[in-house]
Amino acid sequence: MDKELEHNFVALLEEHQNIVHKVCRLYTNHREAHNDLFQEITIQLWKAYPKFRGDAKFSTWMYRVGLNTAITLYRKSKRTINTYELDIYQFKIKAEDYDDTEEQQLKLLYSAVHQLNDIEKALVLLYLEDKDYKEISETLGISEVNARVKMNRIKNKLRTILNP
Amino acid sequence: MDELELLKKHWKKQDTEYPQVSANDIYKMILKRSSSIVKWIFIISILEFALWTFLSFFLKDHKDAQHFDKFDSDFLLIPLTVLGYIILIYFFYLFYRNFKRISVTDSAKVLMENILKTRRTVKNYVFFNLAFMAITFVAVLYIEFDQDKAFISKAQTAAANGEVFMFYAKTILIVAGVLAVFGAVLLFFYWLIYGLLLRKLNRNYKELKKLEM
Repeated sequence: MDKELEHNFVALLEEHQNIVHKVCRLYTNHREAHNDLFQEITIQLWKAYPKFRGDAKFSTWMYRVGLNTAITLYRKSKRTINTYELDIYQFKIKAEDYDDTEEQQLKLLYSAVHQLNDIEKALVLLYLEDKDYKEISETLGISEVNARVKMNRIKNKLRTILNP
Repeated sequence: MDELELLKKHWKKQDTEYPQVSANDIYKMILKRSSSIVKWIFIISILEFALWTFLSFFLKDHKDAQHFDKFDSDFLLIPLTVLGYIILIYFFYLFYRNFKRISVTDSAKVLMENILKTRRTVKNYVFFNLAFMAITFVAVLYIEFDQDKAFISKAQTAAANGEVFMFYAKTILIVAGVLAVFGAVLLFFYWLIYGLLLRKLNRNYKELKKLEM
């Protein structure tokens, strides 16, 4: 039974692992930290998995556990951002996909998102993943109205960073 | 175009770029130990309960405490001891119940609240112990003043010299001073350990609370 549980879990996580990678990408700024956080989220997911019931989508459940781990449970402190590492690790932006201004804007955007606080990052991640405000508010434990207001503030904040 | 929309466009294209972790590596990962703050809080809390229980046993069997046995002190110390144990059990039960409630699948806010609540239980237990210790000291002082012959004769000498007030004041001040230093050292350690451990959690909790205003 345990073996079966383990097998199912590993298969599901392998399939949906990009969700965990995305959380790690927003909350860490070098590869080593990314892997470390990935591991902690995996452990937390596995510990919570026996109580996972099919009534929620596995991916929805993963966002919640992943963000909770990054925001609350993960203990290691952040390293100061090293621009060189940010360039090679975070912002692999292919030149052929975007024109020069867009590419430049994207770089600025990513570094602006990295400057946001942990809660703001959570909102941005869920927003980028096309989650509705209901899910955002339930994941964070705030009201839908407050989630909307906060999201608008974040957009303004990013706009100011990009167009000083 | 909305800045975030541009980001979203790029964000979605990135899916293929993440280094994929194999099933085999996932198997290895789930065998590893977590280093989450919940685990640390649990370990530190258990150590605290153990330390304070040990401390009360240790103080009871100490030589000075045995010298104390000669006095008629049971009327005070037995109820205090029993009360101490009842309260220990009560706090431990609260701690365990709160700890069990911590679930990583709750919303971020509820999760943080449950962690802080668990922490608060242990903190209250320590405050209770400090208060309890102060009360015990007062009780011990009272019995000493009342029954210790050596102490009474010293007090009488002081009274003969007209320094009885100074004598009592000095004794009480010394005891209070020792208690204050002990309390200050303890608070410092608390501030250090939990300050470091819970810094991030407190910061994020405040941020969430701010959104509710």
